[in-house]
Amino acid sequence: MNESARLEVVGRPARRKDARDKVRGKAGYTTDISLPGMLHAKALRSAIAHARLVGIDASAARGLPGVHAVLTRDGIGEDIAPTYGYFIKDQPIVALDKVRYEGDIVAAVAAETEAIADAALRLIEVEYEELPPAASIEDALSDGAAELFEEAPMGIVPAYGAGASAELRPRPNVCYRFNYETGSPDVFETCDHVFEDTFHFSRMQHFHLEPFAAVAQWLDGDRIEVSTSCQNPFALRKELGRVFKLPENNISVRVPFVGGGYGSKNNCKAEPIAILLARMTGRPVRFALTHDENFLTNTQHAAILKLKTGVMNDGTLVARDSEIFLDSGAYSDASPLVAEKAGYRIPGPYRYRHIRTSCDCVMTNTAPAGPFRGFGGTQTSWACESQMDMIADRLGMDPLEFRLKNLIDLGEPFVPGESGMDSDLREGLELVAREIGYRKRKKNPVPNRGVGLALGFKDGGGVNKPAQARIKVSTFGDIFLHCGTVEIGQGAHSALSAVVAEILGAPAGRVRYMPIDTDHTPYDQGTNASSAISVMGQAVERAARSLRAQVLDFAADRLGAEPQDLDLEDWHIRKGNEALPLAPMIMGYFGGTGWEFAADGFHKAETDHSAPLETQCVFWELGWGAADIEVDPDTGLITVHKLVVSGDAGQAINPLVCRGQDEGAAVMGLGQALFEEMVYDGTQLMNGNALAYRVPMAQDLPAEFVSITQEQGHGPGPFGAKGMGEGGMLPVAPAIANALFDATGVRVAALPLSPPRVKAALEKGF
Amino acid sequence: MSDTVSISCSVNGEPVAAEVPTSTTLADFIREACGLTGTKIACGHAVCGACTVHLDGVPVASCSAYAFEADGSEIRTVEGLEDADGELDPVQAAFADLSAFQCGYCTSGMIMLTRALLDRDPNPSGETIRKWLNSNICRCTGYELIVEAVARAAEAANAGPMR
Repeated sequence: MNESARLEVVGRPARRKDARDKVRGKAGYTTDISLPGMLHAKALRSAIAHARLVGIDASAARGLPGVHAVLTRDGIGEDIAPTYGYFIKDQPIVALDKVRYEGDIVAAVAAETEAIADAALRLIEVEYEELPPAASIEDALSDGAAELFEEAPMGIVPAYGAGASAELRPRPNVCYRFNYETGSPDVFETCDHVFEDTFHFSRMQHFHLEPFAAVAQWLDGDRIEVSTSCQNPFALRKELGRVFKLPENNISVRVPFVGGGYGSKNNCKAEPIAILLARMTGRPVRFALTHDENFLTNTQHAAILKLKTGVMNDGTLVARDSEIFLDSGAYSDASPLVAEKAGYRIPGPYRYRHIRTSCDCVMTNTAPAGPFRGFGGTQTSWACESQMDMIADRLGMDPLEFRLKNLIDLGEPFVPGESGMDSDLREGLELVAREIGYRKRKKNPVPNRGVGLALGFKDGGGVNKPAQARIKVSTFGDIFLHCGTVEIGQGAHSALSAVVAEILGAPAGRVRYMPIDTDHTPYDQGTNASSAISVMGQAVERAARSLRAQVLDFAADRLGAEPQDLDLEDWHIRKGNEALPLAPMIMGYFGGTGWEFAADGFHKAETDHSAPLETQCVFWELGWGAADIEVDPDTGLITVHKLVVSGDAGQAINPLVCRGQDEGAAVMGLGQALFEEMVYDGTQLMNGNALAYRVPMAQDLPAEFVSITQEQGHGPGPFGAKGMGEGGMLPVAPAIANALFDATGVRVAALPLSPPRVKAALEKGF
Repeated sequence: MSDTVSISCSVNGEPVAAEVPTSTTLADFIREACGLTGTKIACGHAVCGACTVHLDGVPVASCSAYAFEADGSEIRTVEGLEDADGELDPVQAAFADLSAFQCGYCTSGMIMLTRALLDRDPNPSGETIRKWLNSNICRCTGYELIVEAVARAAEAANAGPMR
């Protein structure tokens, strides 16, 4: 049956569930929470990049009226595990033995007001013994470089499947190395050409407008209640349980609306300090960072990517050997996971006979890098798609034809043991090529004007992600949806509610997405990897189908009918031409106080050792892009005349929301391509605030900006849906760099493509 | 030196009198003293405009204004746009209908900025819209849907009686 032919809720550009609250200023965020007796926290940050902590004197701060507690390393006892992290537990709640970057937290104060807390910070005296710093990947890997960690911190390597492996601390200042290999390297000897190129990727900050924030309190001395601006409440709860040595049923993590994250709001950020200060003071504590402090808390990974690619004269790709170095900053955060993904994604969606990659997480005395929209895929799409055009040029082939020749087919596994590609990659590429007028164009119709294409690629949905959802429906058909997907702007609460409404034959307005509290909400691994509709969506779909079946079975029993002869419509049972209200039927059986139907749904990709990452990829996320640009040779300024991006939603649950996701991602990619960058002078961040750090504004929109939501229908989610929202970012920078080459014959292999860099390259002439 | 200052002003048409520390920002006054948390504080440097409110009809970045600057003034926040029956202002309705928001943290500021634009120019050109929106930052949407929502709000307001 073609289900999409009769969709009532799904596929329509309806108002989002959060629309009314958000346009009225009524949507509640963590930063809006105010509790009786609540104190405010502020953190003292190191102004030195690398130093041994000799002593801290906080007595004057403690004596300041209005100050309730000062947290330093001296306040961390045996009852606390003092460090946290994803795979490697290396980041201290406050500095213990050393500080490792300018901005590392040394102490924190809880006071009656933020102003008093800030004043108290200035009274804390810290004695440092400075150490030589490692400012960059090159610095940290050089002989005799200062070591951020003299001893390896506690860490784990997860199980990997066929061809993949990893090691902790393979060399000093490298906290994690991911390796992947398939096929024999001998095939390099059969190649007509082997091309080696190096690419540099710059570092952005997420620039979410709601800062990292948490409000914590202790109840009965041994229970934590924390509301937080966080993307993964259950993983956070587990980590808080480990740090505070508490059972998980003594920790309630609540997540209101989240004011943007783009990856950064995973795992511990503001929470440990808020919780510890709440314990020290016996009062609720609010710890909201400033926007400036966001820059010191989490960033994208700068990277160096070295690609060696073997190819035949006819343009057939044969082998790719890659070495990637990620600048992880001072603490590991999600770096091991980003390394795994970057290392895995570097081949791009093309067919090879041999792939070998290694990806190193290099520790430097700069702000910690973590998850960022694209999660390693932005870095790899930049390098891979730039080199695709470079190779095409060297072979005298058209870049579009070169890609079409090598792209993986629909249904073909990405690598041995993997799931099949769930988008027609050629269809998408032809679509954006047509929209930009690629085949019809004349070479350099205008001097310094050119066109470029790129195809961003990532495995989507996350590895080994379990998700559970629970639906309840009351006597009168009011629907409660309990699941842990956080509403971070992507529209997931509306999309998941629409899936439930569709299956239960109800108007979308009858579904309430219940507040997230780990005490009651079913388990979810996290709101990341564009996974909500593909992973949680399947759990929600199963819960809804199970509930629907229960209701129809119940009605069939009451009516002496067969369930397959009945339908559910707006909490009525449709039987032939009759529409029988369910409420009287329910009360007739369960009693006048009524009943709730309830059902759970669950999703987890099967563990599979033949899949390199231990489970097959849930879905593949693509971003097709094309750019028509012009460069001013006198200034190096690039003007994007037209930008085309396209993602594949499989089936759009809400087309307007899909469009917004693709456009938002593309504009973030535009910033990355043209100007956006955290600028470091050595270990010092030079533009760590909104005044100095430039993000795209409305003025930066290209004259023509086209986004096309494809609905190819091959996704694993409800009604063929699959995740999106990261893909649109991935192709933008390489498409623009490829257009720059088309325009000028000059290849720029470093980001951003800022006027000084482009001008210098044009003057150099290659 | 007095550490506090008394302010009397009107907030969304209601008279408000308060004694606040001299260093209190307008944004903190609105959020804490008035309890109107629809106004968001984001960048803290008058760059992003998430904190935009109207001070005597002029859009200002409330994070970078002092509360005492509002003494004797009329303050209007996002909470003051809808009518008494909860009917949305055309700007709010257009943002809601076009999903011209995602995380929502910039939305109050974007809506207040748009309201100020349409109060001055009920028929803004596309270029004028972009120019005005340039004073606020949205990190989620890529602006296109916001530009469309502003145009839609102008059309709706000009199409005749809304309520």
